[in-house]
Amino acid sequence: MAEGPVSPGGGGSHESGDQSPRSNVREQDRYLPIANISRIMKKALPANGKIAKDAKETVQECVSEFISFITSEASDKCQKEKRKTINGDDLLWAMATLGFEDYIDPLKIYLSRYREGDTKGSMKGGEVSAKKDVQPSPNAQLTHQGSFSQGVNYTNSQLKEFMVAQADKYLINSYFYEISASGSTRDGSYARPRIGDVGSCA
Amino acid sequence: MRQAGAYSGIHCGGISGKMGPHPLPLARIKKIMKRSGSGDEVKMISAEAPIAFAKACEFFIEEITKRSWVMATQSKRRTLLKDDVASALIATDVFDFLITLVSHSASPAITTTTNLMSMDS
Repeated sequence: MAEGPVSPGGGGSHESGDQSPRSNVREQDRYLPIANISRIMKKALPANGKIAKDAKETVQECVSEFISFITSEASDKCQKEKRKTINGDDLLWAMATLGFEDYIDPLKIYLSRYREGDTKGSMKGGEVSAKKDVQPSPNAQLTHQGSFSQGVNYTNSQLKEFMVAQADKYLINSYFYEISASGSTRDGSYARPRIGDVGSCA
Repeated sequence: MRQAGAYSGIHCGGISGKMGPHPLPLARIKKIMKRSGSGDEVKMISAEAPIAFAKACEFFIEEITKRSWVMATQSKRRTLLKDDVASALIATDVFDFLITLVSHSASPAITTTTNLMSMDS
């Protein structure tokens, strides 16, 4: 069979897996769009900061390298474990292994939010999170208005601040339990705290 | 172990959905994933893997940008140059895998900054 020209566009939905990546890959296949990268970079800088074009291009290359680096590590793990599909947890594991531990916790929260939205069938991200933010966490309110804060004569704002911080911590932790409970280890040794929402974290 | 501090501002901003679901194109991320490794290593990719990467890349870009900005301000500039990115990569251990990207086109400016930095420490 002739290798023939690679059909452009068309059926991208099925996994073929055996395309050779050797051929001259177009730039737009190797990198993420520079406009998106530039937008994220600008967001990270103070308002008066500017970015030279070659700095953007360097970051653009770095991001592709980052994706390949993490994917290779995750893919090695999958091969060792004789699995054929790389999933999100493999990537998280690879990131933790390669020194990007700081990304793990926020990513777990992000993914669990995504999964929640996914099961509800509404995938319009903004809509989902907007809906979530409406109903505040019942527990956070409880601690605010509970008898505890009435009796004590601390500065009210200070106490409130502390409690909000505690509530946030608790909410975030509860999300990790949820993730590990839905994951591969299913020992269920802890009582999973069921809390409405992590929305108050913002 | 679980520290929400350092990035809490970032991830809260992301979750609240202010900037839409995914600021980076998932199909492109998937293409880059397929390309990595030596050919048929990466067979199948779960649907949520590119989604995880979209967010992770955001963190990654933010981190590089902020570290580069420190380098730019040290040189009393308000414009990020390629050299700033290069010296930020060199100065940060987790970015070691990227050094080849900036070193094969290394300008003398990079080597002088590294020398200065090693003399400082």
